[in-house]
Amino acid sequence: MKISLLCIMAIGLGLSAMPALAHHSFAAEYDNKAPVDLTGTVTKVEWMNPHARFYLDVKDDAGKVTNWEFELGSPNGLMRQGWSRNSMKIGDTVSVQGSKAKDGSNLANARTVKLGDGRKLFAGSASETGRTEDKKAEQ
Amino acid sequence: MRWIAILTVWVCLAPVHARAQWLDYPTKGIPRTADGKANLSAPAPRLPDGKPDLSGLWLGDQWGPAGHRPNPLGNARPSPPEMLPWAQKVFDERRANSIKDDPEARCMPQGVPKASTLPYPFELINAPGKLVMLYEMYSLRREIFTDGRELPKEFINPSWMGYSIGKWEGDEFVVTTAGINEQVWNIDLAGHPHSDVLRVTERLHRVDFGHMDILVAIDDPKTYTKPWIMPMMRYTLLPDTDLLEFVCEKNIDPQHMVGK
Repeated sequence: MKISLLCIMAIGLGLSAMPALAHHSFAAEYDNKAPVDLTGTVTKVEWMNPHARFYLDVKDDAGKVTNWEFELGSPNGLMRQGWSRNSMKIGDTVSVQGSKAKDGSNLANARTVKLGDGRKLFAGSASETGRTEDKKAEQ
Repeated sequence: MRWIAILTVWVCLAPVHARAQWLDYPTKGIPRTADGKANLSAPAPRLPDGKPDLSGLWLGDQWGPAGHRPNPLGNARPSPPEMLPWAQKVFDERRANSIKDDPEARCMPQGVPKASTLPYPFELINAPGKLVMLYEMYSLRREIFTDGRELPKEFINPSWMGYSIGKWEGDEFVVTTAGINEQVWNIDLAGHPHSDVLRVTERLHRVDFGHMDILVAIDDPKTYTKPWIMPMMRYTLLPDTDLLEFVCEKNIDPQHMVGK
């Protein structure tokens, strides 16, 4: 099976440990130290720039359902990493790993997503790792 | 991050054609190695008049497959620019607030030179009398005029992407840009401010077929005590693909942003 150059690039991207400068204020919105790992049913998908989004109904142990919002990277970056606008459909069971919003809302930035068909994809927001050596370099 | 690479390998076995239009379409007439891949180490191409041909899709190496390339200036980085007091105050405030007020989050253009440092490619296109830059992020564009015009001393209509002229110095294409409006919030990802007298000089040098260096100098005496140079950025060519549309349809969550 042919692996496109873009796929090779995406692999290299993973190997290179993506640098993250203060690109539109990830740090103002999400907490790197507040991880989330949630599984739920897709209720809505917004495939748009600058950030794709999706919403999950997540059931807790007591059976209570909460609707969570997840932010992905740009569809442009996502498509280059294996996503399509049809990767996620309403009703799919999906699990997400990411960082919770700082303002206490049921919002998280997704880092990886395991789709309904079992594939696990990187969620492609370039801003989350915040390497200190890059921040020093910026100055 | 290595596990991401492993996952991505698995993901990349999915058929490419199903994901986006023309994400993977062979570019005609480019040098290739025996296995059909683009030969990024081939010599830099030239135009009919002998000048280097800068055209192609380019992505900054910090966002690309090779990660950080060795800095051609060695590992020395330019000293942080000394800012005038008003600018230092603004800069410190922005950092303390995690850059939350950047109008980029309201889909506004990033301006020059920041637009060239983003994690999305830009395309350089040769045209009579100008070099055209198409930026994927927010679908921005610049025209760098090579028809002999000079920049005015004053700009009656400052713009987000400024006004640019370009001239050759040997194999280096030197772009001068001014007339950048004051709504452009910052000149780099770090959040450094600017004034209406900002003049940006970009030196583009295509090293070989697949690689280009851009060195940016900032001259803004109302903001910085002296001219300064940003860390050199290297760009790698993206062959066999095209820009995707990027219309910024929806503001990025201003209601969720938390400052200091």
